[in-house]
Amino acid sequence: MARLIRTEKEVEGRYTEQWIVVEEDALDQWPAGPLEVVGRDATRTDGLERARGEARYTADIQLPGMLHAAVLRSPHARARLTSLDLAPALAAPGVRAALSPGEIEQLTREPGYMGAPVAAVAADTFREARAALELIDAGWEELEPLLDPDEAVARGSFVSDPSRYERGDLERGLAEADVVVEAEYRTQTVLHNSMESHQAVCAWEGDSLTVYISTQYIWGVRDDVADQLGLPPDKVRVVCNFMGGGFGSKNGPGDYTFIAAELARRTGRPVRCALTRREENLATGNRNATIQRLKVGARSDGTLTALGGDFVNAVGFRGWSPSTGGPMQMLYACDNVRIVEHGAKLNTPPNAAFRAPGFVEGTFGLECLMDELAAKLDVDPLELRRRNYAHSDLVDGRPFSSKNLAECYRRAEPHWERRKEVQARSEGSWKRGVGLASQVWYGGGGPPSYAWVRVGSDGHAAVITAMQDIGTGSRTAMAQIAAEELGLSVDRVEVSLGDSARGPFASISAGSSTIPSMGPAVRAAAADAASQIIEIAAQRYHLEERVLSLKSGHIVSADGGSWPLEEITGLLGDGQILGKGARGPNPAGMRTLTFGVQVAEVAVDVETGEVRVDRIAAIHDVGRVINPLGASSQVEGGIIQGIGHTLSEQRLIDPGTGRVLTQTLDAYKLPTIADVPEIVTELIDEPDAHLTNLGAKGLGEPPIIPTSAAIANAIRDATGADVRSLPISREEMLRALREARERERRAPVGAAAS
Amino acid sequence: MELLRAESAEAARAALGNGSVALAGGTELVPLLRDGIVRAERLVELRSAVPRGISDTGVGSASSSIVIGAGTSLAELEVDPQVPDALREACRLAASPQLRSAGTIGGNLLQATRCWYWRLEFPCYLHGGDRCHAREGVHSEHAIFGNERCASAHPSDPAAALVALGARLQTTHRELPLTDLYRLPTDDDRNVTALAPDELILELDVPSPQRSVYLKAMDRRRWAFPLVGVAAARFAEGSRLALAGVAPIPWALDGEGALDQATPLPGTAYKAEIARALVRRALASLQ
Repeated sequence: MARLIRTEKEVEGRYTEQWIVVEEDALDQWPAGPLEVVGRDATRTDGLERARGEARYTADIQLPGMLHAAVLRSPHARARLTSLDLAPALAAPGVRAALSPGEIEQLTREPGYMGAPVAAVAADTFREARAALELIDAGWEELEPLLDPDEAVARGSFVSDPSRYERGDLERGLAEADVVVEAEYRTQTVLHNSMESHQAVCAWEGDSLTVYISTQYIWGVRDDVADQLGLPPDKVRVVCNFMGGGFGSKNGPGDYTFIAAELARRTGRPVRCALTRREENLATGNRNATIQRLKVGARSDGTLTALGGDFVNAVGFRGWSPSTGGPMQMLYACDNVRIVEHGAKLNTPPNAAFRAPGFVEGTFGLECLMDELAAKLDVDPLELRRRNYAHSDLVDGRPFSSKNLAECYRRAEPHWERRKEVQARSEGSWKRGVGLASQVWYGGGGPPSYAWVRVGSDGHAAVITAMQDIGTGSRTAMAQIAAEELGLSVDRVEVSLGDSARGPFASISAGSSTIPSMGPAVRAAAADAASQIIEIAAQRYHLEERVLSLKSGHIVSADGGSWPLEEITGLLGDGQILGKGARGPNPAGMRTLTFGVQVAEVAVDVETGEVRVDRIAAIHDVGRVINPLGASSQVEGGIIQGIGHTLSEQRLIDPGTGRVLTQTLDAYKLPTIADVPEIVTELIDEPDAHLTNLGAKGLGEPPIIPTSAAIANAIRDATGADVRSLPISREEMLRALREARERERRAPVGAAAS
Repeated sequence: MELLRAESAEAARAALGNGSVALAGGTELVPLLRDGIVRAERLVELRSAVPRGISDTGVGSASSSIVIGAGTSLAELEVDPQVPDALREACRLAASPQLRSAGTIGGNLLQATRCWYWRLEFPCYLHGGDRCHAREGVHSEHAIFGNERCASAHPSDPAAALVALGARLQTTHRELPLTDLYRLPTDDDRNVTALAPDELILELDVPSPQRSVYLKAMDRRRWAFPLVGVAAARFAEGSRLALAGVAPIPWALDGEGALDQATPLPGTAYKAEIARALVRRALASLQ
C-alpha cells in the first residue's frame, strides 16, 4: 500500500525535508553472504561494449546538422565588461549564432572568477567555433580580486552564514584534559578531471527538448532545464546511456546545457556544447581548499574530553560550504565538541561536490590530529580510536541502523601489526612506516526510486529504470539483483537505463546512493515479476504457489519438479510479465552511515622528500556487497584518487591576478599507474538488517575518505615528521622533516622518549 | 599553414626563417602552435633532412665517442647499449612512452620551459616584458641558479645528461660544445639558445665516459618534468656534473661546492636541498 510520509533526505551530508509516497517494502532480506549471483564476482555486463568503443557516450552523439558551441570565458578573476563586439565572430566562416551576456542568465558581464562564461558562438564545426571566439572583441575593466580565504573571513565575505555546531562545553572539556594538542592543517584545491569533459547536446523537436548529457542525475537535469526554460517537465527528455566520470561535478545541468539549448533554439539545429580540457581545469567545479584550526583534549588514558575545530572552506565565487567539520562531529564519542565552519566567498572558480566533499578534507585534519595525540600520550593509534568508539549517533542520539567499525578495526589488526616489520625494513635514507585512519560517511540512499522488470516469452528479463551508470558498474549490479530474484544468470538480464523517456524516476548517482536507492527498487520489481511467474506456473502445473520457486533458469517445486522458465513464459507468445518496484522508506528514527579504516605503508626518502606509498589495506563496512569485484574496483579507484589528492594534485592560482596557472594535465599532476601501490580490499559484507530489502549501502565515496590521513600518519610513523598540509609535495615533506629535526634539537637532553 | 617536407639539411636550412619553423617529433611544437605561443606560416618537416640513429666512431678504444643523429627518438636512445648510462636513464625517466617514441633528441635540447606564466603568455621577462612573474608569484617548480631576471626552469633531462657528458653539436652552420648552445636571457636578447633561425642541429658527438649516472626528483613516479635532475659523468681527466630543472638553461655545476652559490627563491629552497642530496649520490655512484 502506498503511504504518504514526511522524511529527511540526505545527499552528501546535506539534508532536506520532503513529502514522499513510499510503498511498503514487503520483502524479507536475503540471508547474509554470497547467494547464487548477488555477493559473487561479476565482470561488467557492458565491459566489452566499452572496451570496443561501441558504447555511445555523450561525446559520441552525432546528430544530423549538429552545430558546435564554444564559450568565451573571462580571462580575469574579477572584472567588468566595458565593451563587447560579437559582429566579427558572427561574420566568421561557419558561424550560425552567438549569445551575449543577458541573453541567457548563465552569461555574465561581471565575472567573479577566471573562466566564468561571458559569451558563446555556434558554428558548423568545433574548430570554426573556437576560431570565432578569437575574433570577439571584449574590453575589460579589471577589478581587484579577493583571493585569500582568511582575509575573506575577516571581511565577512561568505557564500552562506557561518555554520556552528556545539555539544557539551568545549572549554570545560579542555580543562578536564591531561593533554591538549592544537594544530593547523591545510588542504589544497583539487579538480575532478573526469575523462569525459562536461558536455551536452541539445535538440529541439517542436516544443520538446532532448538533452544528451554527461550527468550523474538525469531527473535533476530534466527538472532544472524544464524549470529554467519554463517547460513542462515531460517536454524535456534527458539521455545519458554511458558516462565518463563525474565524481560529484556533474550533478546538475551546468552552463553548457543552457548555452546549447538556447543556441539550438535560435538556429533550429542540434547544438553540442562540450568543454575542453582547459575549461575542465577552470570552470567545472573543484574540491575547495581548506584551513583547519583544530584542538583535541584527552585524559592520559586516551579518553577524549574535547574536540574543537575552526574551519575555513575556500569555496570560490559561488558554491556551498561543505561539512568539513562532519567527521569531528560524528566519528568519535566525545561529549564536548565545538565546530565553526566558514564558507569563504572568493574570486576563484566555484567549488562543486567532489567525492565525499568536506569529509575527505576534515578526515585528513581530524585523523592526523588523533595520531599526533596518540604520539603525545604514547598510546597505540588503533587503541586510541577504539577507546573513543561511538556506539550511537552523537549528533542526535539515534541508534545506528548498523555499524561494524569495530569489526573493521579487528580486521585491520593483521595489517597494523606489520608495522614493526615494515619499520625494520628502513634502510639508509629510506624510512618506512605504517599509519591508519578511520572513516565515517553517509551512503544509505533513500526513496523515491522506481524500477520495472519485464520478462519475455524467451525467459530473458529486462530491468527498465531511468537511472544512470556513471562508470561505477551499477548497471551490472542491477542485473545481478534482478537475476538473483528471478533465478536467472546475469547474462539473461538486460538493463535499460539512461533515458528519462524510457523508464521511471531514479535516484541521483551521488552521495554513494545508487546501490542503496536503486537496488531495493530493482529487487522489488523483480520480485513482483517472479511472483506473477509463480502464480502462472501454479495454475499451469496444478501446484500451490508456496511450493514453487525460481532457480537456475527453472521453476522448481518443493517435491523435485523442475521446468525451464521459458516453458511457462513461452506459453504467452507476445505476452509479457511486467513487474514494478519502488524503494521503500529508510528506517525510522535511525542513523544510516558507512564506516571503514585504511592502513597505509609508506617509504620516505628523508634526503629528497620523496614519498612512496607501498601498500594500502582498506577495510570498509557498507552493508551487503552486491558485486565484490565491482566493489574492489570502487575501493581501488577511491584510493588512487586519494593518493593524487595526498601527494601530487594541486590547482594553483596566481596570487596577483587570480588566474589559474594549472590548466593542463602536465601541470595538474594526477597519479599515474606507476604511483599506484598494492591495494588490499576487505569488505565486511554484513547486511544492514534495518535498511531496505537489500541491506546494502553505497561505496562510491568511503574509500577516498581516510587515504590522505593514513598516508600522513604512516609518514609520521616512518620519520617523526608532522605533515599538515596537502599535497605532501617534496617541499612540504622536507619542511616537516626540518621541523622535526629542529624539535629534536631543542628538546632538552634526556627528555627524548626512550 | 603549409607543410614542407625538406629532402635535405640544405633544403631545410634554405626554407627556414621568415615564418617557417622546423618540425621534428612535434611533441613540443604542436602544443605551442595550438596555444598560439609559436606562430608559423609554414612547417618544415625534418624527417629526411636530419640524420637519425646511433653510430660508434671509435674503433673499440676506451676514449671513443658515439655520434647520435639529431632525429633519433628518445625511445631509441633509452634502449641502445652504446649510449652512456646517464643519457639512457635521462631518456627513460623523461615524459611518457608515447612522447619518447615521437620526440627527437635534437628537439628535446630546444624544449621551452614549463613555466606556467610563460606558457599562459603573461607578459613576462622571457616573453620580452620587464619582470619575471614567477619570482613574486607561484614558483614552486622554478630555478635556483641563474634566476635573477627569469626564474624559469629548463625542462630537459637529456640536455643535462649531455652537458655532463661533454657533448658537442654539429649544426648546419658550425660545430660547438653543447654548453655554448645555451645562454641566459638578457635585456637585449630573451632567447635561451644561441641557435640562428635557419640553423639546424644535425648530430651530437657524445664522448663515452668511464661511468655516468642520471638521478631525477619529480612530483610523481613517471611522466613529470624534473624538479631536480642530476647528471654526472666520470672521464679519465675528471668528473663533470650538470643539473636539469634548476635554471633557465641546463646548468653545468662546477663540483658539489658550487651548490653553495645557489640563489633559491622562497618557494624553491627545497630544490637546493634535493640537489645537494642527489649530487652526493651521483658522485658516490661514479666511484
